[in-house]
Amino acid sequence: MSESTIYRNLKNMPSTHLLGTGTPMCAGCGGLEALHEVYDILGEKTVFVNAAGCMTLLSVYPFTPFRGGWLYTAMASAPAGAQGVRDALDILKQKGTISEDEDMQVVVLTGDGSAYGMGLSATSGAMERDLDFIYLCYDNEGYGNTGQQFSGATPHGAKTATSTGSHGYPGYKKPLFDIWAAHRPAYVATVIGAEPLDLARKIEKARSVKGPRMIIALSPCPTGWGYDPKETAHIGQLAVKSGVWPLKEVIDGELVHTKVPRQRVPVEEYLKLQGRYKHLFEPERDEELIAEIQARVDSYWERVES
Amino acid sequence: MTRLLLTGNAAAAWGARLAEVDYIPAFPITPQTEIIESLGEWIDHGEMAGRMVTLESEHSMITAAGAAAAAGVRVFSATSSQGLLYGMEMLYTVSGWRAPFVLTNVSRGLASPITLEPDHNDILAARDSGFLQIHCATCQEVLDSILLAYKLAEDPRVRLPVIVNLDGFYLSFTREPVTLPEQDKVREFLPPFDAENMMFRASAPESQAVAVLGGGPYSYFRYETHLAAQNALAVYDEIADEFSQLFGRHHGPLECYCCDEAEYLFVMMGSFATKAKEAVDRLRDAGWKIGLVRPRLLRPLPREALQNVLCGRRGVAVIDQNISMGMGGVLHSEVTSVLYGQPDAPLLASFIGGLGGRDIPAAEFFQIATVLREAAEQGSAPPPRLLYTENELREVRKLQAIASVEREVLGGQGDE
Amino acid sequence: MYRIRFHGRGGQGMKTASRILGSAFFLQGYEVQDAPRYGAERRGAPIFAFVRADKRPINERGIIDKPDLIIVADDTLVPVPAAGVLGGADAHTLLLINSHTDVSEWQQRLNYPGPVVVLPAPEEVVDRAEMPFIGALCAGAAAALTGVIERTSLQQAIAEELGHLGADIVEKNSQRALHAFDLMGRQQPRLMEGATADASAWNAPEWISLPFDEARTAAPVIHAADNTEALKTGSWRTMRPVIDYERCNKCWWVCSTFCPDGAIAVEEGTPVIDYDHCKGCLVCVAQCPPHAIEAIPEHNAGEITP
Repeated sequence: MSESTIYRNLKNMPSTHLLGTGTPMCAGCGGLEALHEVYDILGEKTVFVNAAGCMTLLSVYPFTPFRGGWLYTAMASAPAGAQGVRDALDILKQKGTISEDEDMQVVVLTGDGSAYGMGLSATSGAMERDLDFIYLCYDNEGYGNTGQQFSGATPHGAKTATSTGSHGYPGYKKPLFDIWAAHRPAYVATVIGAEPLDLARKIEKARSVKGPRMIIALSPCPTGWGYDPKETAHIGQLAVKSGVWPLKEVIDGELVHTKVPRQRVPVEEYLKLQGRYKHLFEPERDEELIAEIQARVDSYWERVES
Repeated sequence: MTRLLLTGNAAAAWGARLAEVDYIPAFPITPQTEIIESLGEWIDHGEMAGRMVTLESEHSMITAAGAAAAAGVRVFSATSSQGLLYGMEMLYTVSGWRAPFVLTNVSRGLASPITLEPDHNDILAARDSGFLQIHCATCQEVLDSILLAYKLAEDPRVRLPVIVNLDGFYLSFTREPVTLPEQDKVREFLPPFDAENMMFRASAPESQAVAVLGGGPYSYFRYETHLAAQNALAVYDEIADEFSQLFGRHHGPLECYCCDEAEYLFVMMGSFATKAKEAVDRLRDAGWKIGLVRPRLLRPLPREALQNVLCGRRGVAVIDQNISMGMGGVLHSEVTSVLYGQPDAPLLASFIGGLGGRDIPAAEFFQIATVLREAAEQGSAPPPRLLYTENELREVRKLQAIASVEREVLGGQGDE
Repeated sequence: MYRIRFHGRGGQGMKTASRILGSAFFLQGYEVQDAPRYGAERRGAPIFAFVRADKRPINERGIIDKPDLIIVADDTLVPVPAAGVLGGADAHTLLLINSHTDVSEWQQRLNYPGPVVVLPAPEEVVDRAEMPFIGALCAGAAAALTGVIERTSLQQAIAEELGHLGADIVEKNSQRALHAFDLMGRQQPRLMEGATADASAWNAPEWISLPFDEARTAAPVIHAADNTEALKTGSWRTMRPVIDYERCNKCWWVCSTFCPDGAIAVEEGTPVIDYDHCKGCLVCVAQCPPHAIEAIPEHNAGEITP
């Protein structure tokens, strides 16, 4: 971790929060948890450029939780909207129409439905153009806003509204982190709201550099994943402790795991709390599938540790 | 003031340059590409200020254009055909942001089958998007219309994006004499963009393009956009007058050519309308009382002006360079709706021609006039007519034989 | 109105030639319209371009179907149906052709209804189609034939159209064009302006109502295989590769494999060039290990082809 971080322990975390209360996100929303933590670190001089997803409903006329800017675009092209805003602010500064103080950080805010699929081409384009922006994907592993159908982010075996068979989703979660990292952007990181210190240090780092800064936040979703809202942070912590969600970053092509779970808890501890994996345990245990999921996690960490 | 030979694409680029645009999101597509190539070259060689960025699709291009306009800079962009349709979601979206900018569309027929040559189905697909539409017939008009479009788009009584349309090949790649207005005079006509309260600034919280819940607010925002588009009619008249005083060229919402005392009228949009104009001259030489009405503004549609010029004539032939499957010519439908219930509405005949750049030779205009006159004398409208000759079908049959289509048909019949 | 049509091959500068003539008319006080016809703008493929000039504003557009002057930069295009070189010509249409063959032979061979003029060559060349600055020569000769364009207008038009390529290019083109202009100077007959359409006497178009065809017929589907062979792209060729079988070492694969068009077959171990389809790219000439393939001007091919 960066030597210069001001977030040495949880007492350093902001105690007042920038994101307004009163939004229509579900109670216990893991994405909102991550977003408000991110916003606290970025500060109010931020324009969010949003792609269609759950968080489109953060600003419903006439209410907004944002103190800075917000622009809703469409599902596929939020990075292009960020391009337009970034370029316009640069043009206005260059012409002397606005001062440096009036400048804002441009942040794309999208769900996994956009980030892993329809929006991937626009995201790739923005990285290729070295756009100076932050990209924040709140990843709840399915098309949550439409009732949790599977998306390119859905993990193997999870039940969704469009993978209701006895083995759940037959595909595998797309390696978006690697796809992004292959573009060699300025910064790539995974975060989760349940690990606020790790998140704060990463956003602090992202804020300090220029260019594309790409963040995926795993976002436990009580509605889509089928668990009691109070478990959001717990499930998030288990995702890290079980090794299902590796916390990592890439700077200058170098991959670093920022929190390595030395004694990983079995994945089933993470799975069994969620309705989307209920078919792995009831009416009888699907040993094969549980073992497969565990094996994939083990294999990932074996490669990391070797 | 310089008069020189310019293609329609070069005239469009000059329009953007003279409007001193700040920002040009771009994506190449035939037959538009020369516009962004010209602008790119000027910017690269320091002949023009402004920033150009090539996006990865037209959908992104229009998003970036709308976003930059919403942040308060003057934006220009250009596309054509499939590109316009690829960006269609964003056309509807950004017009609702009330973010004004100018988009040039170089008309080209739509797939399938895919083609490069022009007709108007691309631009008409954007008819209900909330973008205003100006249709050009000459290269001069392309340049002038871009200046008019900025003034119209940025007017506080309107504040909507505008599409300036020109036909592929027939204007885009065709050089004609074009008068370049002087930069100082253009500045006098078109002052810097005042984005009013639309901005992103650290000191001014602003959440733009937000969602609504419920039909009440939704209807309000949508109908306000409609009212703004309707306002654009009166605003356009003012602007066109001001333009004409400064530059000596008047581009009204309708071009009416030889309409005084005319018994018959052609109604047509775009560059093919100059062919109709030529036919009017020849028919007048032969003793016909005939004229041409060419809508330059399609959105907003100048309803009253159309009623005034069309009513009281014996017959009107609408020639559509487009087709709405299952209905027919789009302009014909629009004109029909304009004339419905008018006491002295003329007999209306529908012709469809020029699809995919198919030529409309003078003889066809003469024939259209003849059919129109016969119909008016008999008092009943003729059935809609595709301008298509026996020889053209014969040629298609030959192509079908090469494509072995006949064999398939025969095979099918053999099964029965 | 003057209606002028240029025919040449991609790469011969017909677009530039039409623009030089258009500009010269414009400088002479005419209203002008000029346009190239794109579509198959590939090196060697037939292309055409138009110029209209009139003292009044021009309302006609697009293809010129009844030309007053047809300019042919390459006489091998005359028999190519796709080039449509002689389309719409009548007794008043002047034909300016770049050819080794003389006027009377052209009139006889084509049974051409109007006057024919051969483009004057500033010097004797082996292949007229490969003459340098052929576009400038055509523009210069055409300008002279109009009888209304002054030498200085032609010169200025070249400076305007080619200025961006540098003074040297302008000078060389100018020299050639003026030379052609002077050689053509006293040439008779002159170009005559064509008549406008007459709305009191015209042929009614043979309109039909399109019959309904079922989708099995009316969908854009080709039910045949590999029938592009019917398209004789050999007509694009200005240089012809000729195999010297004495030197050919029968390696059988180099020329045949590298030919992008697959126009070199191997028959019993010996390569054979399909001249109906060879476009004259000369990759085979460049790649042949024993240098057994020679390129000769297409113009001379008749005499040399084995």
